[in-house]
Amino acid sequence: MILEILTKRYPGLRAWLLQRLTGLVIAIYSIGFFVRLLVLQPNSFEAWHAFFDPCWLRIATLLMWISLSEHAWLGVRDVLKDYVPNVRVRTVLTKLVAIVLWLYLAWAVWLLYSL
Amino acid sequence: MAKKMKFSIYRFNPDIDKKPYMQDYDIELEDSDQMLLDALLRIKDFDDTLSLRKSCREGVCGSDSMNINGKNGLACVTKLSDLEEPVVLRPMPGLPVIRDLVVDMTQFFEHYNSVKPYLINNDAPPETERLQSPEERAKLDGLYECILCGACTTSCPSFWWNPETFVGPAGLMQAYRFMSDSRDQALEERLENLEAPDRLYRCHNIMNCVDVCPKKLNPSLAIAKIKDLKIKEAAHTKAASPARKLFGIKRL
Repeated sequence: MILEILTKRYPGLRAWLLQRLTGLVIAIYSIGFFVRLLVLQPNSFEAWHAFFDPCWLRIATLLMWISLSEHAWLGVRDVLKDYVPNVRVRTVLTKLVAIVLWLYLAWAVWLLYSL
Repeated sequence: MAKKMKFSIYRFNPDIDKKPYMQDYDIELEDSDQMLLDALLRIKDFDDTLSLRKSCREGVCGSDSMNINGKNGLACVTKLSDLEEPVVLRPMPGLPVIRDLVVDMTQFFEHYNSVKPYLINNDAPPETERLQSPEERAKLDGLYECILCGACTTSCPSFWWNPETFVGPAGLMQAYRFMSDSRDQALEERLENLEAPDRLYRCHNIMNCVDVCPKKLNPSLAIAKIKDLKIKEAAHTKAASPARKLFGIKRL
């Protein structure tokens, strides 16, 4: 059902639902993250490394970053649609936001899997 | 006891004025002048060039909606005793001004008409009326009372920024009024009609519409219910489901 709604058949519903689903992922991850933070309380590089060591946490963190990027993209795109009436300027700003979000995502992947 | 009140009113006559300006009035009111509309008519006694719309004088026709001290409302149901002085009156924002407090509501009614605000039922007309149970009829409460004054739509920032595409709270509430009518048979088409990204989903729950509605209605709730209906409808639409074909699955 969810996959169907997220197809191009429902362009309005898709964006609206995606924003909520990604928001839900971010909220659940944040709660879990802070609980783990309170329990383990890492205070050194090694401790932080061990904190992110489990594979499931890296996958969850990656999922959260993807959700965050999508959530931010949908939100900022709406703000630009509202406040930047000039189509050319808006196109440039929209592309800039997309590039920045992709860079952040790539950075997050590098941090998660290279360190 | 007669009382003086100060008003500052937006004036613009496109035939004479190059740009709009605010005109101050210091008016002596009669004891019978209780509502803002009474005061405006008193002002017109002194200055008959002031233009405004009015009709029923009791909050039913929705003609005299305007921006009162920064908030949209109906002049005829706004008590003078509730207003801070000087009372600043402007036309409703977001629509072209025809003259003074009179705005061109063409776009507002185009959006209203776009949701087909009438019953669609292809069955043969019955001998008498189309019956509803009391429960079915109750679903229309809080929706049918809208007087189309435009106060909600013109106080909505989403409408200000997307006036050509966003239907606006008044139009969307009327769309839901017919979606929830047990006698209507066009639910699917009505939902499809609102699928374009900017028609329904530009609503970001700012809630100005709820704040200003002179009939105390809740367009924001109606919009949320349309979104719920859209999810339910999409979940039940089995035809042309690309995801199912692509993944070969029955249900996720």
